[in-house]
Amino acid sequence: MSSREIYTDRRTAGLLLLPTILVSLVFLYYPAARAARRALYSSQLGLDDEFVGFENFAELLTSGGYRSRLLLTVGFAAVVVAGVMAVALLLTFLVHEVGTGKSIYLVAAIWPYALPPAVAALVFIFLVHPTLGVLSGPLATLGVDLDWFADGRQAFVVVTVAAIWKQIGYNVIFMIASMNNIPETLTETARLDGVGRLRRLLWVYVPIMTPTLFFLVILNTIYAFFGTFAFIDIMTGGGPSGATNILIFDLYQEAFDFFNWGLASAKSVVLFAVVGVLMYVQFRLTDKYSHYGA
Amino acid sequence: MLGLIQYPARLLRATKRQTAALALPDRRDLETIGLHLLLVGSVLLIVFPILVAAIVSTKQTGIVTSLADLVPGGHVVENYRTVLVDYQFGRFMWNSFLMATVIVIGKLALSIFAATAIVYYDLPYKDLLFLFILFTLLLPVPVRFIPLFQLVADMGWTNSMLAITVPYLASATTVFILRQHFLSIPSSIVETAKLDGVGPLKFMAFVLLPMSKGILVGVSVIMFVFAWNQYLWPLVIINAEADQVAQVGLALLEGDVVGGEVSWSLVMAGSMLTLLPPLLLLILFRKPLLRAFVIQQK
Repeated sequence: MSSREIYTDRRTAGLLLLPTILVSLVFLYYPAARAARRALYSSQLGLDDEFVGFENFAELLTSGGYRSRLLLTVGFAAVVVAGVMAVALLLTFLVHEVGTGKSIYLVAAIWPYALPPAVAALVFIFLVHPTLGVLSGPLATLGVDLDWFADGRQAFVVVTVAAIWKQIGYNVIFMIASMNNIPETLTETARLDGVGRLRRLLWVYVPIMTPTLFFLVILNTIYAFFGTFAFIDIMTGGGPSGATNILIFDLYQEAFDFFNWGLASAKSVVLFAVVGVLMYVQFRLTDKYSHYGA
Repeated sequence: MLGLIQYPARLLRATKRQTAALALPDRRDLETIGLHLLLVGSVLLIVFPILVAAIVSTKQTGIVTSLADLVPGGHVVENYRTVLVDYQFGRFMWNSFLMATVIVIGKLALSIFAATAIVYYDLPYKDLLFLFILFTLLLPVPVRFIPLFQLVADMGWTNSMLAITVPYLASATTVFILRQHFLSIPSSIVETAKLDGVGPLKFMAFVLLPMSKGILVGVSVIMFVFAWNQYLWPLVIINAEADQVAQVGLALLEGDVVGGEVSWSLVMAGSMLTLLPPLLLLILFRKPLLRAFVIQQK
């Protein structure tokens, strides 16, 4: 018994825990269990359930469309994660290195954390609107002809850039904390050995920041898979011709446009597996690298 | 012996530093200036889209085809009034505000209770209990919104404040952060409370809460931003326009602009309004916010 455990009355403890447990059971565990069960039924809205076993999953696995959307989502996540972390790392480093005005620069770097995805999506539509966009003219002079309402590849790029933009602040928040923790003596030694700034970042700081960077890879992946729904819904609706139809949007459409609740439930089970694997990996990595003492 | 070996190294380092300071003052200054230029440039790049939105929200039509058109117009009051009143944004913002506030207060209360029980009570199967709460991290809204929709609709909560607040009230993240913080409070203080015979409610109100002010502010900002920025769940469970939140309201406004009923300047005004509350909180409470995040990672 630790010295902090000063109370023993189990009834009071139960009362304190009850609200959290109740909400978790009713609104988190029960719906999840229901999704798992529903995934085994062929149920369309209003029709009677018919048990089909793993047919829904088999359908997903053999569906070329679903597989290509899965690949698309993985690609999207990879670009978002790599992009946001590269930008945030450089930005964090600049803030870390600067002397005067540090706190102002820091706020200017982390504010996109507060940016609502819907706002980011709308502002981006306006910024690079093929006909009305502020940047469409300047980009045209650079030889980029914006046509992302019809051009799938361009739509993918635009959504990716918007999604990266929104996530920069969140990454800087964690990176600056981690970078500020690096012992001053290391920085000093590197400086005296004539190690340039960029090399100091890549070969001295990044290895020490590994635990934080792993943590961010997982968080950013979850963001790319799930947190980007508003971008797709507002900017492209999954199009043009499926070029931005990532899994979370595909799931939404299956349920609320096509009303295939059984298939949609199977899709949410797949997404649950994705979160599960990511969390597990994070857990294991945190364990493995905890001796670095982030 | 050790001192003898280290001495020359230290000497060497000192001379090196001196020569660096003597020979390269100009380079250092240039570097500093370059650093500031780089920072200002990147910050401007990140702020640029919002600057454009802010400028456009003051113009009449919102058609800006070149960078030279990026000068504020004189329609500030008119645009924001139209959005707030004619397009119900005042209503949407109020709904969002109510939703976020209820979620913050509810989550905070529930999480303080749960974390107190987990840290300060001698309970069997405590680790299992904590795991039960932590496991909900695997169940974010996107993986369960379909059955959740059916459940909440069956309960008759569609279009109600209950629907967009209650399902959010259990928070693994907040319980986790508070638990970490409670564990960092010196046990001597806790033991003193025990010796004084302080009951659990008094202990929470007069010992725990005063010692957790900073962290409570930090997690509250995290929760507010999270709640305010929710999009998917209100989109599916709220279908009466008057009950809608600002995020989905923005998407509705965009639908109007595509339909040709609204100009882009109004959409940008709505965007600025939606951005304002979380942005203000971030700027005002950045220090406790950053501290709370550091704990979350551990």
